[in-house]
Amino acid sequence: MLLEISHPLELIKLTASLDSFLHGLLPSWAALLIEFILVGVVLLAMYAVIALILIYAERKITAFFQCRYGPNRVGKYGLIQSVADMVKILLKEIIHVDSVDKFLFYLAPFFVICASMLTFAALPFGNGLHAVDFNVGVFYLIAVSSLSIIGVLLAGWSSNNKYSMIGAMRSGAQFISYELSAGLSLLTVAVLAGSLQLSTIVADQSYVYHWNLFRGHLPAVIAFIIYLIAGHAETNRGPFDLPEAESELTAGYHTEYSGLQFGFYYLAEYLNMFIIAGIGTTMFLGGWNAIQVEGWDGFNQVMNFIPSYAWFFAKTGVLIFLSLWVRWTFPRLRIDQLLNLEWKYLLPINLVNLVIMAIIVVFGLYIK
Amino acid sequence: MVSNIIFFILAFVAVVSSFMAVTSQKIIRSAVFLLFVLLSTAGFYFLLDYHFLAITQIAVYAGGVMVLFIFSIVLTNQPGVGVKFEKPKRMIVAAIAALAGLAICGHIVYYNISRLYFYTTQEEFKMQDIGFGLLGTGKYQNMLPFEAVSLLLLACIIGGVMIARKR
Amino acid sequence: MTVSEYFSGLFTGIKSLLIGMSVTWKELFTKKITQQYPENRGTLVISDRWRGNLTMPHDENNEHACTACSICQMNCPNGTIVVKSKTIETEDGKKKKILDTYTYDLGTCTFCNLCVITCPSNAIRFDNSFENALFTRSKLLERLNHEGSKLREKKAAPKAAENIPG
Repeated sequence: MLLEISHPLELIKLTASLDSFLHGLLPSWAALLIEFILVGVVLLAMYAVIALILIYAERKITAFFQCRYGPNRVGKYGLIQSVADMVKILLKEIIHVDSVDKFLFYLAPFFVICASMLTFAALPFGNGLHAVDFNVGVFYLIAVSSLSIIGVLLAGWSSNNKYSMIGAMRSGAQFISYELSAGLSLLTVAVLAGSLQLSTIVADQSYVYHWNLFRGHLPAVIAFIIYLIAGHAETNRGPFDLPEAESELTAGYHTEYSGLQFGFYYLAEYLNMFIIAGIGTTMFLGGWNAIQVEGWDGFNQVMNFIPSYAWFFAKTGVLIFLSLWVRWTFPRLRIDQLLNLEWKYLLPINLVNLVIMAIIVVFGLYIK
Repeated sequence: MVSNIIFFILAFVAVVSSFMAVTSQKIIRSAVFLLFVLLSTAGFYFLLDYHFLAITQIAVYAGGVMVLFIFSIVLTNQPGVGVKFEKPKRMIVAAIAALAGLAICGHIVYYNISRLYFYTTQEEFKMQDIGFGLLGTGKYQNMLPFEAVSLLLLACIIGGVMIARKR
Repeated sequence: MTVSEYFSGLFTGIKSLLIGMSVTWKELFTKKITQQYPENRGTLVISDRWRGNLTMPHDENNEHACTACSICQMNCPNGTIVVKSKTIETEDGKKKKILDTYTYDLGTCTFCNLCVITCPSNAIRFDNSFENALFTRSKLLERLNHEGSKLREKKAAPKAAENIPG
C-alpha cells in the first residue's frame, strides 16, 4: 500500500470526530438524523457554490478563448459577478404563462434539478467525503442522470410553444443516443476495474499507472475519449447545443421559463458539466487519489500533502476546461450529423472497444 | 420506525399516483403519474436495501421506458386533448379485468411473501453474484434465457430496420 | 461508404478537429483586444475616418474659411445645418456677404459627410470625438463659428488630406 504519512488537511478526521462526538452526546437515532441533515445541507450548499464557481470560470475562460477579459467589473477580476447574477435570478419575477399545461410546466424543472442533485450526491469527492457508496455505484450514476431528460421533454411539451417543443425533441433524441455511448464506455471501464462500486474503483487506482486510463492500454483511452464526447453531448453544450440553438430556437426547451425556474435549468446545466467531469475523474483518472509514482518517495510525500478533495476538484477542473475548450472550438452540429456521429461512429467503435477490453481483462494483459 | 414512515410516504405516493394515472384526462399527465409510481416502487426497493433492483427500476422504467413513452406520446396527434371516458359497459369490463389482475397478483404475493421475506433479511447480493447468476452456465444460472432474450431483441431490431427501410 | 472510406474519414476528421483545437489553444494566449473604455480615455486611439462631430477649424487668428455660400446647407439631407449670413460693407465700399452664425444640429445629423465633401473652401470637417451624450436636447444645437471670428484672406488654402472625399 501507499506511504502512511499524515494528511493534515484531510477532512476524514474531522468527520470521524464529529461522528463520535454526536454519538457520545445523543442517542444513535438522533445522531444519525443530525448527520443525515448535515450531509444534505453540505451537499446542497456545495451544489450551489460549485455552480457559482463554474459559471464564473466558464465566463472567464470563454472570454480568454475569444481574446476578451470577461467579467472584470464586479469585484476584483469580476470575482463576485456570478454572486450578483445569482441574486438577480433569485429576485426575478416568475412570469406565469397562461396557455401552458400548468402542472407539468411547474413540475419539469424539478426533474432536471433532482436528477442532477441525486447524481451529484453520489460522487466521491475525497477520502471519506462520499455520501452514499452503493455497490452498484456506476450503474446508479447512469440510471439517475437519465431522469433529467424527462424534465426536458415535459418542459418542451408543456410550454405550448413550437420552439420549446422542437428543442425538447432534439434534446430527447440527443440524450437517448448519447447516453448509450456514455453508458457503454463506463461499462468498458467497469469491465477493467472489475467492480461497480465507486470506492473500490477509486481505491484500485493508487499509482498513476494504475489509473484506469493507463491501465487498460488503448481501449481505455478510446473509452475515455468516447465518454468525454458523449458526456459533453449529454450536457447539451458546446458543438452539441442544438436543443437550445439560439439562432433557430430562441432558447429551446426553456424558452418560456423565467426567474428561478430558468435558474434551475441553468444550475443543472452547469452542475451536469461538473458531474460528467467528476464521473470521468473517478472512473478514469484515479478519483481523489494523489499523483503517486512508485519509487519516488519524496515526490509522493509532497503530493500526498495536498488533500484528496483538492485532487478531485483539480482533475475535474482539467476535464471541465477540456470541455470548454471543445465548446469554443467547434461549430454547432446539425441534427443529422449529431445522430450520425453517435450511431455510425461512437457506438460501433464503443462495442468493438468493449470486446477488446473484455479480451484484455480475460487474458490479464492490463497493467497489474 | 423511520423506515415505516418512509414506507407510508412512498405507499401514499404510489397509490395516489396510480389513481391519478388512470383517471387523468390528459395522456401525458397519466404518463407522468405512472413515472411517479415507478419511482416510488424504486423507493421501496431502496427501503429493502436491494440497490441493484432499485437502480434497475430507475434505469429501465423511469429512465428508459418512460422516456420513450413520453417521447412517443409527444409525437402522437393532439396529445394535449383530454381523453373522454369510455361507455359504462366497457368500464365494467375494464374494472373486472383490473380486479382479476389484482386477484392474481394478490394470490402470488400472499403465497410467496414468506420466501420474499427471507431474501430481504439476507445480506445484500454482491454485483458479482448477480452477474454470474445472469450469465453463468451452471445450475440456477441463466445464460440460456438471457441469450434467448437478446436474440429476440436482435430480431426485433432487425425487423424494425426492415420496416423502416421499406418505401 | 466503403470500409476504407469509413476509417479514413474517421481519422481525417479527428486530425482536423485536433488542428482546430490547436488553433483555439493559441488563441487562448493572444493579447486581449478589449478596450477598457472609461479607464483608457487618455490612450484611446480613434480612427481618423470616424465622423464624430462637425467642426469648423479656426486658426490662431480666430479666422475660419467659411464663405457662407450655404452649399453645405443645401446638400444636407436633414436640414441639420443652418447658415445665416449678413452683408457688411468693406473699407473700399464693396458689399460683401459674410458668415453670421453657422448652426449645426447634432440631433438630426446622420454623419453622411455630404457637407464636408461639397464644401468648396474646406471650411468644415468631422472630428473624431465620440462622447456625444448630453442631458438636454437643446444642447445638441451647436454654433460652429466662434465669437468674433472672421473669414481668412484668400490665398488658396492647402487642402487638408483627411478632407479629401472617398
